[in-house]
Amino acid sequence: MNLKVMKTLLWRETWEHRGLIWAPVITAAVIVLTALLSTSFTGSVQIDIDGQIDIDGKERELFASLAADLSHQRQLFAVWLGALVIPQMIVAMIVLVFYVLDSLYNERKDRSILFWKSMPVSDAQTVGSKLATALLLVPLWVWLVSMLASLVVFVIVSVKLGGTPLAPLATFHAGTWLALQLTMLQNVLVAALWYAPIAVYLLLTSVYAKRSPFLWAVLPPVLLVIFEEVAFNTSMIAGFIANRLFGFIRELDLHISSEDGDTSASLMREIARSYEQLGTLDMLAKPDLWFGVAVAAIGFFAVVRLRRWRDDA
Amino acid sequence: MGAVIHARGVRKRYGRSTLALDGLDFDVAAGRIVGLMGPNGAGKTTALKSILGLTPFEGELQVLGRDPRTERDSLMKDVCFIADVAVLPKWLRVDHALDYVAGVHPKFDRQRADDVLKRTDIKRKSKVGELSKGMITQLHLALIMAIDAKLLVLDEPTLGLDLLYRRGFYETLLNDYFDHERTILVTTHQVEEVENLLTDVLFISHGKIVLDSTVDALPSRYAQLVTASEHVATARALRPIYEREVFGRYAFVFEIGKGGAPTVDELAAWGDVRTPSIADLFVALMNGGRGNAEVAA
Repeated sequence: MNLKVMKTLLWRETWEHRGLIWAPVITAAVIVLTALLSTSFTGSVQIDIDGQIDIDGKERELFASLAADLSHQRQLFAVWLGALVIPQMIVAMIVLVFYVLDSLYNERKDRSILFWKSMPVSDAQTVGSKLATALLLVPLWVWLVSMLASLVVFVIVSVKLGGTPLAPLATFHAGTWLALQLTMLQNVLVAALWYAPIAVYLLLTSVYAKRSPFLWAVLPPVLLVIFEEVAFNTSMIAGFIANRLFGFIRELDLHISSEDGDTSASLMREIARSYEQLGTLDMLAKPDLWFGVAVAAIGFFAVVRLRRWRDDA
Repeated sequence: MGAVIHARGVRKRYGRSTLALDGLDFDVAAGRIVGLMGPNGAGKTTALKSILGLTPFEGELQVLGRDPRTERDSLMKDVCFIADVAVLPKWLRVDHALDYVAGVHPKFDRQRADDVLKRTDIKRKSKVGELSKGMITQLHLALIMAIDAKLLVLDEPTLGLDLLYRRGFYETLLNDYFDHERTILVTTHQVEEVENLLTDVLFISHGKIVLDSTVDALPSRYAQLVTASEHVATARALRPIYEREVFGRYAFVFEIGKGGAPTVDELAAWGDVRTPSIADLFVALMNGGRGNAEVAA
């Protein structure tokens, strides 16, 4: 495939959908703003405006041991910065769902498909560029933006923590940070494979629907779920869909919860567990994932064929 | 040079009953400007869509030696088309439109497009949605003219434009684009406008070609006799294919030069004889001689 053509096609997508570029930037700005205004750090520790730290004995103990334990300190650092990408991901996903639904529908609605088709660009290239925008271009952009945002957030928080008992936690671990970015990059690629069938399904409704691709996308699964519930009193389809929708985010469970009675040792374990969750490469071992990729590949050819021969512009 | 378009028995059916194309046979040679004309629903657009590989069909069709059904992607490097006004998307910015075509089309000459655009009032940072219909057509034409294509297909390219833009469109096309190696296939309802630039005409009716001729050959095939009312009976006896009355004068169109048909000299005895305009001929052939001019667009 010609690289110059592909590059142009990807740019084209960003011209039509400015939101793909701006949504991650705006989300990052909100995260940075929250860090600026917020007074809490890792949930339960309050930093007052005057710099007074209100921590109880147990947390004092936790932070004391963290200050000494460099390995867990690094893990907490990674989990904390890594978790910043989750709101970014959720916003990007919502934006991308609407992008994909529009991508092959708008061009038919405004008949611009006749212009696009007057160019020597194959349907596979066109559909491929839209899929690549949704699964790679925007996620990589989110990755880049959130990387920068995490640095800014780190600076803000470390300034706030300076001179407090928590100051050791504001150490920048360059090696850990780099490793975290590589892990996040892997996550982008795993997510692309995991969500490929959903993206292709949305493309299919986009290329097929005569009107309202959103309803075409949402109604069939909802009706199937209801039908199954009523007819068999089971919810296998719902489970299947939920697994596909949330399976990836569930893997990234970065919430560190502390409850009464937790010792600092159990919190350390919790930090270590979350750290393990940062990477999702183990999803590549799931047959589920590869089944989805196969379905997506078949669906892709269906979308290309439909766009090639659909004749109602 | 072989035929740019070679069609044999091209058929296209919509649903079960509608036959949009009923066996088209025609050839278009290189360097011609061909007008494809027909009433609404005659199959013009379907024929163009078949040539451009936008719709499936039956039969044999070669465009620049390629089958548009299976070789569309490479075909589009040598074929350009303006499907209609206003198919450029509203969100597209003018400079991005140039970037886009430059990025995907190997035969696009950006400098040329820039030169054509400089002669218009179109601003580079405007979005298509902010341009007038006429300007959108100018932009589209600037993009297309900068592509070194062998075949240009125009489907009602000036629909809805005012006279100035329509005139300008064809003038630009003829003066700055057409060079006797390129081929242009155009459909339009505004027959009078393209009349003087066509080299060939293809009339299509009910999915069939009813006239396939060079413009140069028309005088030896058709003649129009304009005469006074006292000669009407005589003229009718010569079997015109079409007649109409204009301000008390009668105009008859004859097919000439065939066995049994009148000659120009025979007709000249009864009034003024000239070659019918393409518009007159269109009405004559589309009407089957019933003398109702209203179907002409």
